[in-house]
Amino acid sequence: MSKQDSKKPQSESRREFLHRSGALAGMTALGAGSFLYNPTEARAADAIKVGIATDLTGPISWGGVPNSNVAKMVIDDLNAAGGLLGRPLQMVLEDTATNEQLAVTKVRKLVTQDKVDVVFGGITSSMRNAIKDTIVNRGKTLYLYPQLYEGKECTPFLYCTGPTPAQQCDTFIPWLIKNGGKKFYLPSADYVWPHTLNAYARKVIEKNGGEVVGEEYFPVDHNEYSATVNKIMSLGVNNVFNTTIPPGVAALFKQLYEAGFQKKGGRLSCVFYDENALSITPAHEIEGLATCLDFFHDAKDPGGTKIRAQYDKLYSAGKTQFTAGTAATGMWRAINLWAVAVKDAKSVKREEVAKALENAKLADGPGGPSEIVPGKRHTKMNMYIAVVKSGKYEVVEKSNGLVDPREC
Amino acid sequence: MSKGGCLSAVYVIQGPNVTLPRPLTLSWVSRIVRAAPPAVDVGRRASNLCGINVEASPLERIKALNAIPFFFDVFAYGAIFVLVVLGLGVIASLMGIFNFAHGEFVLLGAYTVYWFDRSGMPVWLGMLAAPLVVGLVGLILERVAIRRFYAAPIVAMLGTYAIGLALREFVRSLLGGQFYSVVAPAVGSFDIGGVSISKWRTAVIVITLLVMVLSFLLLTRSKFGLQVRAALENPALARASGIATSRVYAITFAFGAALAGLAGALMVPIYALSADMGVPFLIKSFLAVLLGGMGSFEGSILGAALVGGTSAALPWAIKPVVADVVVFLIAIAIVKVRPEGLMSKRRS
Repeated sequence: MSKQDSKKPQSESRREFLHRSGALAGMTALGAGSFLYNPTEARAADAIKVGIATDLTGPISWGGVPNSNVAKMVIDDLNAAGGLLGRPLQMVLEDTATNEQLAVTKVRKLVTQDKVDVVFGGITSSMRNAIKDTIVNRGKTLYLYPQLYEGKECTPFLYCTGPTPAQQCDTFIPWLIKNGGKKFYLPSADYVWPHTLNAYARKVIEKNGGEVVGEEYFPVDHNEYSATVNKIMSLGVNNVFNTTIPPGVAALFKQLYEAGFQKKGGRLSCVFYDENALSITPAHEIEGLATCLDFFHDAKDPGGTKIRAQYDKLYSAGKTQFTAGTAATGMWRAINLWAVAVKDAKSVKREEVAKALENAKLADGPGGPSEIVPGKRHTKMNMYIAVVKSGKYEVVEKSNGLVDPREC
Repeated sequence: MSKGGCLSAVYVIQGPNVTLPRPLTLSWVSRIVRAAPPAVDVGRRASNLCGINVEASPLERIKALNAIPFFFDVFAYGAIFVLVVLGLGVIASLMGIFNFAHGEFVLLGAYTVYWFDRSGMPVWLGMLAAPLVVGLVGLILERVAIRRFYAAPIVAMLGTYAIGLALREFVRSLLGGQFYSVVAPAVGSFDIGGVSISKWRTAVIVITLLVMVLSFLLLTRSKFGLQVRAALENPALARASGIATSRVYAITFAFGAALAGLAGALMVPIYALSADMGVPFLIKSFLAVLLGGMGSFEGSILGAALVGGTSAALPWAIKPVVADVVVFLIAIAIVKVRPEGLMSKRRS
């Protein structure tokens, strides 16, 4: 018998062994989850599972890290107050790593393996669009999205707790016309949020007697804006309503400053700019920049001030502050609104919580009270207009009551 | 008021009394521009000529056409590109390694300046230190990892890519994913004929020219340059002639890395410091090296000037999103006509 022959049966039996042990492992894994225990009974005894899917790493980690921080803070608070329905909350955190394909796998794990009762997260619209189907349709799980965004998200069982274009533009653009002028230029990054926001902003600008003299889209990683700055200067633009994004936005603002845009009376505005964004450019380059968000440190509302103090105490070592532009305020609202709804529904079942969410209200929070608009799955909130003065925001106007998101 | 002819494709303007674009007779800028189809649609007419009043005098028109900012922009962006590509070109053309971690070497240079700034030290000192720090990092990486890749250029690409990814995520964790600004040693701008010219960008153009000349002299006129070229051309003969090729490679790689570090250091006041700041430059830099011709240091510079210059010039005439693609199309067309690159002097 040759060496080859003697090896053959051995290798076959090894393969068989691998097959069998693989099958056994598979059965054990699946069995424990779905056959041995009755899920309803098993869950009744243990914690309510709260899934957080956000970008802890990768380019959007500036938003994901504070989001997970806030989620942990709020869930700890709820647990300290005895949990919900007499059950503790368990946070299941998944890093979606600014990668939509990976994120789909991660949220599938959340809804199928961890069987979470609700999912919070996503920062960019592309992320929300990538994961929503897995969560809401196939996963039959409730999903709350915290970030300011371009609107038009009307998927059932998906609730948005960040500001919409209407909330960011309706009072802000008339203010810009009054405090800047009528000629607008819209330099923008080439993806869904700027396109949709600009379409809305253009309507508001024109309705208020302003005009858009330029609307220009750049690749998202663009960093050379001389041609645009030159056009802005020679057209005598009053308002640069910016939707280009970091890091390229730094080059645009610098070039505008160096061309003397503000010195000649121009007004810079950017609706995602919050306290964290102040580090992107030296303070003198964005003097006078105006923005409109649901919370500013300078808003000095009691709820927001208290939450921020708590956040700073817990995460003072971190680089990101508690701000609106990172979706941290939206995340705070999302979890608390959901908690109100769970208490109200006396259940964590999706349909029942969703029904209760329709009337969910928070008496206080970052920026003040907030409430879900019944049937619209979006959130009413206070909006503030703030202007950068010597590297700090000063709130110059607060909305007259809660502003309607005007979506769906 | 009527508005006449440049940049018509780029923006749209609304207004009832806008006349059609009028031809312009000024410089090749307007020629490119006229070639672009005007974006005219119902109710929304293409404006043109950067909003210039055509009734203005010729002198006013020249000023309004903004020839000064246009050429300054082309030079300034071209200079930044040359600076980035210099280091990449040195490593690619002299060692045959496509260093995919180049963008991260640029990032490390920028981070060094930021670190100096935050530690209360002057920014210019950080800019001097950056090439040394990044050169040292390059030297260590070459000794530990890169030297194992010389036999397999494809593996080298993947290996350097992995190194780059690790460096980028490391810096991201240091920065907490945030963006930071560094104030340039020269702030603001000066006026030329009523046009504001950035002081720091001017400084970058001057420094780039200096660095270019010095690198060129080092590689073509010095003993070290001779050793580098000998080690690339015929490693066996170089070793037989008493040149420690392994050491020469290490120093060359460190030199390329130092140039990247310098590029990052000079760039950071223009852009924000963020973990991804090197990424947009990487692919276009490779394009520049291919365009210039592998194996030729001067070629890389020419390629970089071309890619950087067109990247800056095209958005003056066509939509920036389209311009990005057109830069690649032009470069690919040139490479098709001259596969060996613009200045190929393949030393083999």
